[in-house]
Amino acid sequence: MSRGSGGGYDRHITIFSPEGRLFQVEYAFKAVKAAGITSIGVRGKDSVCVVTQKKVPDKLLDQSSITHLFPITKFLGLLATGMTADARTLVQQARNEAAEFRFRYGYEMPVDVLSKWIADKSQVYTQHAYMRPLGVVAMVLGIDEEKGPQLYKCDPAGHFYGHKATSAGSKEQEAINFLEKKMKNDPAFTYEETVQTAISALQSVLQEDFKATEIEVGVVKADNPVFRVLLTEEIDEHLTAISERD
Amino acid sequence: MGDSQYSFSLTTFSPSGKLVQIEHALTAVGSGQTSLGIKAANGVVIATEKKLPSILVDEASVQKIQCLTPNIGVVYSGMGPDFRVLVRKSRKQAEQYHRLYKEPIPVTQLVRETAAVMQEFTQSGGVRPFGVSLLVAGYDDNGPQLYQVDPSGSYFSWKASAMGKNVSNAKTFLEKRYTDDMELDDAVHTAILTLKEGFEGQISGKNIEIGIIGTDRKFRQVSALTLSPFLNILLMEKWPFGFKKCQSLVLTPAEIDDYLAEVE
Repeated sequence: MSRGSGGGYDRHITIFSPEGRLFQVEYAFKAVKAAGITSIGVRGKDSVCVVTQKKVPDKLLDQSSITHLFPITKFLGLLATGMTADARTLVQQARNEAAEFRFRYGYEMPVDVLSKWIADKSQVYTQHAYMRPLGVVAMVLGIDEEKGPQLYKCDPAGHFYGHKATSAGSKEQEAINFLEKKMKNDPAFTYEETVQTAISALQSVLQEDFKATEIEVGVVKADNPVFRVLLTEEIDEHLTAISERD
Repeated sequence: MGDSQYSFSLTTFSPSGKLVQIEHALTAVGSGQTSLGIKAANGVVIATEKKLPSILVDEASVQKIQCLTPNIGVVYSGMGPDFRVLVRKSRKQAEQYHRLYKEPIPVTQLVRETAAVMQEFTQSGGVRPFGVSLLVAGYDDNGPQLYQVDPSGSYFSWKASAMGKNVSNAKTFLEKRYTDDMELDDAVHTAILTLKEGFEGQISGKNIEIGIIGTDRKFRQVSALTLSPFLNILLMEKWPFGFKKCQSLVLTPAEIDDYLAEVE
């Protein structure tokens, strides 16, 4: 039974290809794009906002059951872009881990610690053949006691970085280009500016104006560090503000 | 290690007697960002490029050079996630040694144990080799030491070495510049010059990382960011009882830029 570069198994499990690449990990990234959703996250001076599309494929579906935004603890949120089933298992494990952390150490799990945990778990899937990488990019947001608002992105390869703003999903690159221009001079966005930058980034990249029911918005604010999903009315207010501004 | 479904090794011999998965892992290392290390008469310096995928990434959240013990630091070229696993395992091994012998682990021992982990992953069932090469820099009773560990698990002690994209140019440069009686400051300058050789774009305190250890035997990261020391300790995971916390005195952007100015 010879493996190595023969047999093409480098495409089926996470072993190295002759160029030193991991095809399974690269395919996992493609699976994230294939989900057809784009997500955006923006970090402001004292708040973090994440926005994602809400695509309901069938009118008979119960809209309220379709979500990509998950509270992990009261203070930590996770936006999962990609395969929904993989997202749910990731969220389940993250919730468990965060709860254990709180129990074990007596204080809330910080954003970067949770992100590192998610990333380390993803790394295991890239090194052990028995489990495939998850087809999910996770954006974790929260307010850190010392560092303030934090936005981290964890990908199937096991990388995780803190971001001032970022994107994931089918139009990831266009969104990042848009955000790079906006964040060039390190602006310190207020809460409203943060939310509106995130929503308008999504609108610009997808080239359509949304109705409040077509997107999901999650926020954390420094003055009230609870992770909250915005209600339709609140999203409407922001959408109106954006269209009046333009 | 690995599930029973995969109780066979994925790294097997080719007809020519090579372990191709390890060769591919080395290719992965060779396409990683350049890093290098120089052993001076009174210390060791390790340095690396820190190119981030976008300006939107918060540099403060990324730290490529890590402390394994208060007097041993490490840098890598290759896959970041694999590096994190090795750092975690090495730290634990160092701590276990300390618990048993009540003294800091010598550099050679730690390198040996880390290399053994990397070798395990080339032979065990259901896993692939690590896609990183490490440069371990430390100062113990045997003086300053620099080791390079490869994905195969083999390691060698080096006077100066480089890894990653620009390895051949960097090594040629180091061969010319290296002298056995180099001082630590000279070594830092040489390290920066070597990085500059292959650097695309403008080098600055924000897109390189430097770690140094001198006769005080305290590993320091000269980072471009004014992180508070406390923050840096948090980034390095909880440190167990009875073992001094890694004193990463993080220096200001000014310090790296001072070095850069002297170099020019």
